[in-house]
Amino acid sequence: MFKQLIIKKDSRWLGIWLLGILAAGIWDNLFLNKPALRQVAAGFVNTFSIALLVVIFTLLLAWGVTLALHFLDAGKNKAPYLLLTFLLNLIRSIPQIVGILFGYVAVSVLVQAGFLRSEAVIFPLLAFCISLFVFIEFVDLMRERIAHYQKLDFYNAMRVCGIPEGRVINFDILWKNSRIHILNKLISVFGAAIFLQCSVDFIISVGLSTDVNSVTLPATMGSLLAKIDSKQDILAIGYALTHPGYVGNLFFEHLLGLSVAFLIVFSLMSIYHIANGYAERHRL
Amino acid sequence: MKRKLIEHGMSIAFVTAVLLCILCMERAGTQAGIDRENAASRQYGDLGFVDVSDPFHKALLKDAVNIFYPGQFEKNNAAVESILANREDEFSRKLRKSNVEERLSWEKCGLLLGMFVKFVLVYAVVMLLTYYGVQTLAVFRFARKKLRARASKTTFPGVVLLIVKTVGKTAAYFVLFSPAYVIAYSIRTEFNTDTVIFMALLGVISNGLLVTYANKFYAFLVAESRKGYVETAVVKNLAASYSPRASDGIPYGSMFRPIKHFRGHVFEHIFSNAQHQYLSTIKEQASFLITGLIIIEMALNIHGHLSYEMLRQMLYKNWDIVIVIILGIFYTVKGTEIVVDYLGYRAEKRIENK
Repeated sequence: MFKQLIIKKDSRWLGIWLLGILAAGIWDNLFLNKPALRQVAAGFVNTFSIALLVVIFTLLLAWGVTLALHFLDAGKNKAPYLLLTFLLNLIRSIPQIVGILFGYVAVSVLVQAGFLRSEAVIFPLLAFCISLFVFIEFVDLMRERIAHYQKLDFYNAMRVCGIPEGRVINFDILWKNSRIHILNKLISVFGAAIFLQCSVDFIISVGLSTDVNSVTLPATMGSLLAKIDSKQDILAIGYALTHPGYVGNLFFEHLLGLSVAFLIVFSLMSIYHIANGYAERHRL
Repeated sequence: MKRKLIEHGMSIAFVTAVLLCILCMERAGTQAGIDRENAASRQYGDLGFVDVSDPFHKALLKDAVNIFYPGQFEKNNAAVESILANREDEFSRKLRKSNVEERLSWEKCGLLLGMFVKFVLVYAVVMLLTYYGVQTLAVFRFARKKLRARASKTTFPGVVLLIVKTVGKTAAYFVLFSPAYVIAYSIRTEFNTDTVIFMALLGVISNGLLVTYANKFYAFLVAESRKGYVETAVVKNLAASYSPRASDGIPYGSMFRPIKHFRGHVFEHIFSNAQHQYLSTIKEQASFLITGLIIIEMALNIHGHLSYEMLRQMLYKNWDIVIVIILGIFYTVKGTEIVVDYLGYRAEKRIENK
């Protein structure tokens, strides 16, 4: 059983990721001061909660839009199909970071104005902003899968047998025959969500800090990294590169920034390997 | 191609129209606000000559108003006080915002154009470098994998070599997956990270861009190598060795050349077919690359660059300038999409002998 897990690249990297996070957690517990530790824990949980919500929203959005495109394309009136395609291509042409940045600024304006108070509302809104600029790739994948199966005999055979098109698309194509592809894409979306979220939070905290500060948005790993203490910790890495004797101090005196940076980079790397391993195992 | 061009043209026209409408509305809104503020003082004519800090001017204004509107002393005094307070507020607001408030002017447009050209140049260089890097890494990995698969027995390297390789590989992965700001801040004390060259380098190696798209290209190579025509070509004696030293293999020179050719080798066809499939991914890569460059400029606060300027203008709420910058970035993405579609169309024509 254990050997099987080790052989599979995706399981192996999942294990490495969890062990790495556990090791970082234990180290931080031992050597990081308690207020900073609480911040790192909160940032970590918030970041991953939002990323998880992004995955859920992306799946729902993509599935819904794919079905809409499919049935609109089959209809007689092509105008709604063309309009939807046009809108999707428009979103595709907006660099993700720009779209998400404006979404975040809008959310923070709502928070500042007092319209949004609870994290239970803010988190899904932030996640929705990210998923809106991530889900298009997912739609492409689902459309490709449907187009591929439509060319095969089984699609027509099922339709002739009287099985409703909705069931063939939803159940037989997307669920039964494409869920591995979908899951693989979801893993990649999870990684992309963490990267985009950390980057936007970092940019907002660094560039718009006087207006949209960490008080208005929940603390995430990106905003934690932008704090002056963390930045100084990261700057210390450069010093350690030219003064190798200083390397040891990094793990004790510059733990806040180093922990946050490690958690971001290590998670991105591990998620990439998990997705990659999963794709290799299933020969996608 | 014509249909695609029409679609691109329509979306460019649509976005331009929408953003220009927002720009006009924003300008009209700002002007309306100024007019509203000045409305109260305008009922007494042009008061530009009144020095609000001079008590004599204030008293003279009050007397003049009382002469023009007799019998409402209290009301006149309150109105004049309000006008003077507004003018004082306006003066101090202008003073406070003198270095942050900017309006879109021809001079500003010229400055933005310069930044835009710089942005596009950096983007083009990084795009070419990543395109080269993606293909080279994928080809190298593919050839190595093939060589390993064909090796009859596996030789284990020494422990030291294994440790060095593992550490080196992990370090390389950490750099490649690091967001640009983590790398830049880590070496900021020792190097100047605000140069264009550093920015371009960071755009290539950071944010996971290179490794993600190299993997995609590698996946295309693997999928292509599994197709039947490859087996047929091998059976028909086309060179199929992946050893860099063999006479019928793939030399390192071919792998690392900017424009890659593997003449007489089955890999020539695998590579060119994978390259054709990769064209559809370039749009996605371009969008991600632009995202990366924007992150670098914004997160590192690189002065005089387009994205940093956008962030600065967002902070100071100079929305007209922000809109123009967004329009520039949108045109860059659209330009890339049009070029990629054209290249795809040309390749399609060549393949189908049209």
